[in-house]
Amino acid sequence: MSEKNLTIAMNHENRNLRLADEKVAINVKDWNLYYGQKQALKSVSMQLPENRVTAFIGPSGCGKSTLLRCFNRMNDLIDIVRVEGEMTLHGDDMYAKHMDVAALRRRVGMVFQKPNPFPKSIYENVCYGLRLQGVRDKQVLDEAVEWALRGAGLWEEAKDRLHDNALGLSGGQQQRLCIARAIAIKPEVLLLDEPTSALDPISTLAIEELIFELKKDFTILIVTHNMQQAARVSDYTAFMYMGELIEYTDTDSLFTNPQVKRTEDYITGRYG
Amino acid sequence: MNRDEFNTHISGQLNRNLEALFNQVLEMGGLVEQQLNDLNRALENNDYALAHSAMLLDKTINKEEIEIDRLCANVLARQQPTASDLRLIVMAIRVAIDLERMGDEAVKIAKLAMEQCSTNRDCTQMPAYGYLRQLMQASSEMIQKSLNGFSRLDISDVMSVYREEEQMDEVLKQAMAAIQQELLAADSADKVDLQVRMLMAVRAAERITDHALNIGESVVYLVKGKDIRDLDEEAMRQLLEDNAR
Repeated sequence: MSEKNLTIAMNHENRNLRLADEKVAINVKDWNLYYGQKQALKSVSMQLPENRVTAFIGPSGCGKSTLLRCFNRMNDLIDIVRVEGEMTLHGDDMYAKHMDVAALRRRVGMVFQKPNPFPKSIYENVCYGLRLQGVRDKQVLDEAVEWALRGAGLWEEAKDRLHDNALGLSGGQQQRLCIARAIAIKPEVLLLDEPTSALDPISTLAIEELIFELKKDFTILIVTHNMQQAARVSDYTAFMYMGELIEYTDTDSLFTNPQVKRTEDYITGRYG
Repeated sequence: MNRDEFNTHISGQLNRNLEALFNQVLEMGGLVEQQLNDLNRALENNDYALAHSAMLLDKTINKEEIEIDRLCANVLARQQPTASDLRLIVMAIRVAIDLERMGDEAVKIAKLAMEQCSTNRDCTQMPAYGYLRQLMQASSEMIQKSLNGFSRLDISDVMSVYREEEQMDEVLKQAMAAIQQELLAADSADKVDLQVRMLMAVRAAERITDHALNIGESVVYLVKGKDIRDLDEEAMRQLLEDNAR
């Protein structure tokens, strides 16, 4: 069996992880979120570790995507949303009055469920963020595009067609392009909201392998409906239910010996 | 945790598969229990036929293990069990291995009994027979306790199985010392041969008690999600007494 076929669980670095030993990237304290009168997140407190993959699982409507969108203030775009509590990124208050939201989103990139490349060339998609930041130097852009495409595992497939329209790529390639676009500006945190739910199993595995590689450079938070995916890719897993964080621990423990019955019922598919 | 919880999945197919797995492991365990009981009676009563049937039972036990492996592989491949379901699968595989090895050890003892019976010698008069009987009876009791624990997801007997196993280690030492003495005094090839067979038999019987304890430990992992194999007696006692999750 080749080295590439080894699964994540067989990697020695991944054994015996403990949240208490990790460096914290994002600290969430007593976080509440309301859509109008309806409370969608209830007093969520958690510390998200640096350079690890943390998966959020739970039934539809449990608040996992809502929470994920809090990490780059996407919820600001919804008028009726109101938040309370503390959220810091490497010690910086993410919801401080003086916080530049555009700057925050440069530090916290996001990839969505459906691949959404711009109707531009592959090259322009990847360097879009850098151009927005005012980078003009062609050599810098070239290097950044190659780095990001390599990072997203797309370089070999795309290097000879960098100036082709990105919409000509397959779904899996488009999603990897979106990941390349997100990492090109070197964010600290990468948010993935159901990144493979629109992809076939092989493209899904390619993205999962990529996630494993990317955590060396980024802190990754992933929302997924696919529990096996959470089990495969994440170091830590958070189970949410009706806006509450029910259980949050290392993935090995959560999937072999959850401590809360509601978690057990959900991950084993029992009537809860 | 109780058995009914394995029957509350939304997937009826998973419920049926896990139920089938439980039953298959208990069926296999029942065969090993029967094998040991037959063997005990065969030794006590010099019953060649019973010893022979105990030996033949091994083939059926081996087939049961294959069936359990097949069931487990299918559930893993098709239903990706997690948490207690996953622990059940992993432990079923482990328990089946222990049961299969118990069957193999029992065959060694059955062969000794058959050899004795076929030459019209009294099994109960074999050197160190008292030790063998003690080990065999403990094996039967321990396997029964461990399988009951598996069936009811009950770990209350594990500590006593653990202590019994420790006692049987001592019994084996005594048995071996006794056989050694007999060997030194042996004045014929026949006697040496019998002593060597006896040595293998007591060793086999003690191995059966080891496997019975392994099954008890597997039940603890299944029920509590905790691996107790490397715990000392005190740590194990504390964990087993703390039944509340």
